[in-house]
Amino acid sequence: MSIPSMTKKKVLLAPVDPVHDVGLKMIRRALQERGHEAILLAPDLPVEEILREIARSQPDFVFLSRTLGYGVTETLARIIDLADFAGLREKTRFAVGGMAIRPQLAAELGFDRGFGPKTTVEEAVAYVEGRKLTERESGPSRAKRNLSSNYSYQFKHPVISQVLTELVARTSGWAAVRTSPGVKRALLRQKILQVTQRDETSPIPEPVSLMAQTPLTPEAPFSQRRELHELRRQYAQLAGGAIRAYYDQGDLPPKTRSLSKEELAFLTNLANKGKGEERQLHLPDQRPLIFVQYGTGCPFMDIAHIKLAEAWGADGVIHFDPSWGARAEGLLEGNLSHEEDGSILTPQNLAIIQSSLTRGTLWQVRAHRGLNTPETVVLAGELGADLTKINIAYGSLGGGTDPDRLVVDGYQSMKLAAAYGLPYDVVTNEELAGVPAHKALAGMLISAALGITLGGRPILQPLFAYSPEVMIGGQMDDNYVDFNAAKILALREIIDAPLWPGAPVGFLTQSEDRVQSSLATSLHAMLAASMGVEAITIASSDEAYSGGPISAASRVDTLRAVAEGFRFLGAARIQHTDRAREWADKMVHDIEEVLEKALEAGSLRDALYQGVLGSQEDGAYPGRAGRGTVREIS
Amino acid sequence: MSEIKKKILDALDVETFFVCENEEEARGLALGLMAEMGFSQADVVFLETKGPGARVRVRTYVHRPGNRYGWL
Repeated sequence: MSIPSMTKKKVLLAPVDPVHDVGLKMIRRALQERGHEAILLAPDLPVEEILREIARSQPDFVFLSRTLGYGVTETLARIIDLADFAGLREKTRFAVGGMAIRPQLAAELGFDRGFGPKTTVEEAVAYVEGRKLTERESGPSRAKRNLSSNYSYQFKHPVISQVLTELVARTSGWAAVRTSPGVKRALLRQKILQVTQRDETSPIPEPVSLMAQTPLTPEAPFSQRRELHELRRQYAQLAGGAIRAYYDQGDLPPKTRSLSKEELAFLTNLANKGKGEERQLHLPDQRPLIFVQYGTGCPFMDIAHIKLAEAWGADGVIHFDPSWGARAEGLLEGNLSHEEDGSILTPQNLAIIQSSLTRGTLWQVRAHRGLNTPETVVLAGELGADLTKINIAYGSLGGGTDPDRLVVDGYQSMKLAAAYGLPYDVVTNEELAGVPAHKALAGMLISAALGITLGGRPILQPLFAYSPEVMIGGQMDDNYVDFNAAKILALREIIDAPLWPGAPVGFLTQSEDRVQSSLATSLHAMLAASMGVEAITIASSDEAYSGGPISAASRVDTLRAVAEGFRFLGAARIQHTDRAREWADKMVHDIEEVLEKALEAGSLRDALYQGVLGSQEDGAYPGRAGRGTVREIS
Repeated sequence: MSEIKKKILDALDVETFFVCENEEEARGLALGLMAEMGFSQADVVFLETKGPGARVRVRTYVHRPGNRYGWL
């Protein structure tokens, strides 16, 4: 795009080096494309000759570049001194840039502007035009994007649509008249949060004042304190042993401790680290969005990892709770840290993490496959998360939770998510246990159809993974592209809904070698970009290392690799072979068959118990946690 | 803990290539190196033996989640 003629500038560019003039050539091209006059001198001219050329051509700007480090100060100082002496700086502004230049050095030498080694062409052009960088030039917008807004959620496959409608009706009919301790706790949690929010001196977003045992300040009215006490007492009665011990006696689980007031006092400082210095992974309108999972065990370490993920370009972060959270009835309270993977879900932990997020960062608060799914949706909704996660099939077949319990909890969770306006993903991680993709996708589609019927906006999460099915079947013997691509193609034939491959992409392709691991992640990310999906979750480069927590440096490895992948790919695309299409067609056919068998079985719960969506032979086992806890609503 | 170590967010990784005979020797060298540097609690994250020796990545955690962090 060119600019009005009256604002056109004359720019003289001079490399003060023997050969290093590529940067100035790039700037010349950009200036000329914008309609400016750009004159590039030959490299390594004597200082006097450069000045004679400036005097002759009378430019508005002089851009000098210097790559080599020796004699930099002397050479540039001499140019500025002579330009001053000759009166050349009255009309002309002098800028200098290049590998040997730092803005501070340029300022000390008296240049009007210094550009460091990471300067972009766009910055140089913006300087000439006297304007700030546009959003596109300066990097990605941090405005949050809605992953689900561009989809109709219409089923395109008539037979599958019909079968799903019937399955949803049967599943809803059964689940709507049942409840569980998890559902009851979720409703109590809503009330507890409402009571604490009524105490204006102790609002939820200021977690330091929300300590575990007394989430209200001493100034709160007695009636309010009594109400809260009663709600927590009821909550404790619905909780399991370890959680109840906390509410009854204040006992914390092993390896868990409360963060001290001194530690919490450092929160603001930590949350502000790196603000305003975000890297770009991709352009604002490019897909997919990049999510990373945090869940180090400690909210402070989480915040540190979140800040670096934001700084290195992640679009969103995912709260990952401890695996025992799936099997424990109830959630703790307070600002808690523990020494194992997964960060404990409490309102107060989530509040301090939420307060640290950069405004444009998407935040998913998820439950770990199990008994606290409805309450997690409540926490996500009340504490301002953008997304949550509701698993029924995976939680039942690979997560250890009783199918009846998870159908009831999942159903109520979907209603809660719809009420909060929270999109949620539906995963197919049972593939990692050995369930074939078409069965896992069928289970996901039943959950998604149920969620859509309840007014929700589910996001489908097919796996990009080297799963047991392909290890045995050989579908990935030649490449990792076709079978993963087939899942996307198949789903797109069935439904118009957002896709978010996960989680993380490249599951079971990454090794402990950080270069291999980062590259594997980046290539899977580029496949996702090529398939035009909405989002992906990425691994860290030490994801395959089981000897300790994920390290900050390893997160940076993978984020850098993905950024480089986007730079490499641009608008180009990875092309799958014809096998992907063939497998997609077969997958759609097989999904249809599985759904019809599910209908023959009865409803979603029957299909889960009877192995239709993943059998014991496949590696799926209906879980036991929460068995016998579902009750009909009288 | 030294002021420099306090600034390490979580883990310290050391990567190198040891000239050695086999994996066992490489593992010993990696852990020995970390011990010489004052890190007795170290673990090998990645090790691949080929040709004249082994490519190694060895790690120690200066701050684990739940610790009291020197950088806070």
